[in-house]
Amino acid sequence: MTLEMQAPTPTAVKAGRVGSKVNWGLTLQRVLALIIILALWQVAVVVGLLPSITPGVIEVFGAIGAALTMPTFWAALGQTLTAATTGWLISCVVGVTLGLLIGTIRPLDRSTSVVVEFGRAFPTIALMPVVMLMLGATMTMEVTMVVLASVWPVLVQAILGSRRLDPAIVDTVQIFRIPRALWFRRVLLPSAMPFIATGIRISASISILAAVGVEVLTQVPGLGRLITLAQEAQRWDMAFAYLFFAGLFGWGIATLLAWGEKSLLAWNRQSDD
Amino acid sequence: MTIPQSIHTGTLTTTGNVLLKVDNIALGYGEGAAEKRIVDALSFDVGLGEFISIVGPSGVGKTTLLRGLSGLLKPKVGQVVVGGHVVSGPHPDIAVVFQDYSRSLMPWMSTRENVAFPLQGRGAGKAERNKEAEAALEAVGLGGQGDKYPWEMSGGMQQRVAIARALAYNAKVLLMDEPFASVDAQTRFDLEDLVIDLREKLGVTIILVTHDVDEAIYLADKVIVIAEKPATVVDVIETGFGTHRDQVATKADPRFQDARARILTRLRHND
Ligand SMILES: Nc1ncnc2c1ncn2[C@@H]1O[C@H](COP(=O)(O)OP(=O)(O)O)[C@@H](O)[C@H]1O
Ligand SMILES: [Mg+2]
Repeated sequence: MTLEMQAPTPTAVKAGRVGSKVNWGLTLQRVLALIIILALWQVAVVVGLLPSITPGVIEVFGAIGAALTMPTFWAALGQTLTAATTGWLISCVVGVTLGLLIGTIRPLDRSTSVVVEFGRAFPTIALMPVVMLMLGATMTMEVTMVVLASVWPVLVQAILGSRRLDPAIVDTVQIFRIPRALWFRRVLLPSAMPFIATGIRISASISILAAVGVEVLTQVPGLGRLITLAQEAQRWDMAFAYLFFAGLFGWGIATLLAWGEKSLLAWNRQSDD
Repeated sequence: MTIPQSIHTGTLTTTGNVLLKVDNIALGYGEGAAEKRIVDALSFDVGLGEFISIVGPSGVGKTTLLRGLSGLLKPKVGQVVVGGHVVSGPHPDIAVVFQDYSRSLMPWMSTRENVAFPLQGRGAGKAERNKEAEAALEAVGLGGQGDKYPWEMSGGMQQRVAIARALAYNAKVLLMDEPFASVDAQTRFDLEDLVIDLREKLGVTIILVTHDVDEAIYLADKVIVIAEKPATVVDVIETGFGTHRDQVATKADPRFQDARARILTRLRHND
């Protein structure tokens, strides 16, 4: 899994500010794009372009409706979200703490840079057999896999963020003899936050992907497990419905975080102007 | 105007009337043979409550000297003594208003939090911090503006916040590095008079560094002229204006004109 690290650029942020007003034209375009894709899908199914097992749009919508009334679906969704959220929160805490330490302690930075580069490029899913062997097909295993997959963006962004502390602020903190713990919490962390927030957002999407992926491949209960079971039962419409929900939650969380970021980091926008 | 009472008080160990003693210091960047010497054999004394200007051309080493005085840069030779203690690093009796004042304020903190932050570092409780911060903001003419963020303010106001933060820290000596270099002329005059006013009311000792000869003379009791490479003291002038100043009258004073002529000649001679 490779990640494109991104720094929040002033232009991107300015575009975001304009976008905070509801843009009806854009919304219309997006809905239109969605309708066209669904129509193409339906046409492809009818014409026989796709394998015969592929369900049509109507069937999938029916399955989505059916899933909403199934207690097993809600239970599975709960399990997936719990594992993904737990792993993600651990990744955030571990990634931010380690990243800020690595970014500000020069020898630590130099000695760990290879490990960090390697880790973020490593196909985490390949580690699953090992983690399975150690922890079994359990929730703990799933959370571990989520952490292994999602910690990297937070870690890398926290390292990058900690390096951009303004020299004038470094001097200020020294002159007023700010204790290290207070400096870490009230200076370094907020200063790196615009970068960290990007990492946290990417990491949230990866967490859901990883949780569903682990469930698809193992016996761990959750949305991914339901997808496998639906496939085994040849219920392709249900499988697509579950996939839809997995996507929906990934997107929903990313959107929520982007919105939170925008309101909490107002100072970053303003001082860039 | 409420003044933080604590700024008046506190005991000091001083030798005679001298609060700060700069004793034959040399400052430079780099080590050993690779060292780039910026300041050499530089000495002066600062009395309790005195206002000192250090004037010199751009690039002479004023910021370097200020870093040496504040404990941010360790002297290669000699020492800085404040209140009887050798300065070996940032010292609780020394506060600094930096040249890059707008970048020295933290944009994620409100003005009040910025001013109170050094007190938090000292372990003061929230109520006490806020009270002191409000008093310091009041003293610089920003009473009731603590909830604003630095980036919501003009350059002149940000500079006032930086001054308030240094005041709230309650240090005996205030070091200022070209504090008014990047504001417009009227704001500059206002800030100069604010600093004169604060010195009179709070009795704080001030060392201000500037490249502007008029500003140096207008503000100070004593102007220290630095020049040459490496930089050293080439002249010291007592202005003798007392604690009151007036932007028009003081600058028309013959003593002002004399000092100005003397410093400009001095600096030209050293080019
Ligand atoms: N960190 C540094 N490392 C090496 N040289 C420096 C550093 N900071 C300043 N200098 C040099 O020291 C000299 C004096 O700089 P400075 O003290 O900033 O002068 P001033 O404040 O009077 O304009 C300059 O030649 C500058 O290039
Ligand atoms: Mg300078």
